[in-house]
Amino acid sequence: MSVHRRDVGEVEALITDRYLDSLLAIQPASVLGPLGDPNMPVGAAVRVVSQRLASDLPRFHPSFRFEERLALRLAEVAASMRLPIAAGGEGQSVAIRRIPPAPQDPLLVVGDGELDARESRQYLIGGAVAASALSLAGAWLAWRRRTSPMARAIRAAHATRQPAGHGS
Amino acid sequence: MGAAKDAVPRIAHLDQDRHLVEAARREPARFDALYRRYLARVYSYAYYELGDHHLAEDATEATFVSALTNLHRFEERARPADGEGASTFRVWLFQIARNEIAGERRRTRRHPVEPIGETIVADPLDVEAAAVQRDQAREAWRAVGRLPGERRQAMVLRFVDELSTAEIAGVLGRSEGAVRVLIHRALRSVAKDLKGSERDDGEHGLTS
Repeated sequence: MSVHRRDVGEVEALITDRYLDSLLAIQPASVLGPLGDPNMPVGAAVRVVSQRLASDLPRFHPSFRFEERLALRLAEVAASMRLPIAAGGEGQSVAIRRIPPAPQDPLLVVGDGELDARESRQYLIGGAVAASALSLAGAWLAWRRRTSPMARAIRAAHATRQPAGHGS
Repeated sequence: MGAAKDAVPRIAHLDQDRHLVEAARREPARFDALYRRYLARVYSYAYYELGDHHLAEDATEATFVSALTNLHRFEERARPADGEGASTFRVWLFQIARNEIAGERRRTRRHPVEPIGETIVADPLDVEAAAVQRDQAREAWRAVGRLPGERRQAMVLRFVDELSTAEIAGVLGRSEGAVRVLIHRALRSVAKDLKGSERDDGEHGLTS
């Protein structure tokens, strides 16, 4: 392609661009009309197809459901960004940290870097359970081995009544 | 020609989102206004490029989430003195959309210049039937869909999303002059295409 021909092509492209500016301008149709500036020396075929594309090519809108779902997601992202910004952290990337799940069994799960206090707490919880178990066992034994006169009388009465009941 | 007369307002209107961007930077929840303003445009761009509503939704969602989380990185340079390559929010947003669409294509192994299929054309136009004359719109859409990659993108950005040539240059990473030539050639291709299809149909002539 010669330099002259290339220049002609660029000039035509520039004229077409100006015509499209007038055709697609955001202003009331009464100013220039819906067909763009009629004084632009743009080729007839280009003019007609431009007018046709400007009026015929549809713009699509997603479903209302999608629009609202995405709006909700953006609101969540915005909420996660709000705290760092409030703290003067504009311009910093936002790291959304995952909150580690609470350990199901505090007696067994202890992180490597956690404080000794956590370990002692674990121990205390475990000690409390063992102490409770021992207390219950002691109470039960004490009840079984009660040797007061009253207890002995009750047990004797209970023992003699049962065979009599069976015999009658 | 009036080129000098048109130049100033053409650049000046690029600043239109500044107050919304500043508000969203202060309070991220206010990004919603930008989202509502550009949702249909970004979605249309994605749909024209991907030809599938679900893929277009995925690309649209990724675009807006990325824009919100990276808003602090956006740098506006839309002043008249900036001239070519002026960066505005919507240029930046469509750059993100273009990347997301390309990523969506890679994921679905679509060919980049595959035209929008005829079966895909039918359904959305049924939804838009009240707004457009269905047959003519379908022909125009098919003709645009048959254009190769960058010509098609430039046409969609110009006619559907109504971006200026300077903005499209920013989105595509080309000079403004290159975009003008792309669009001019695309219009001539579409004119030839429509003229051919109308000869076949015997109606809707491109009379001039």
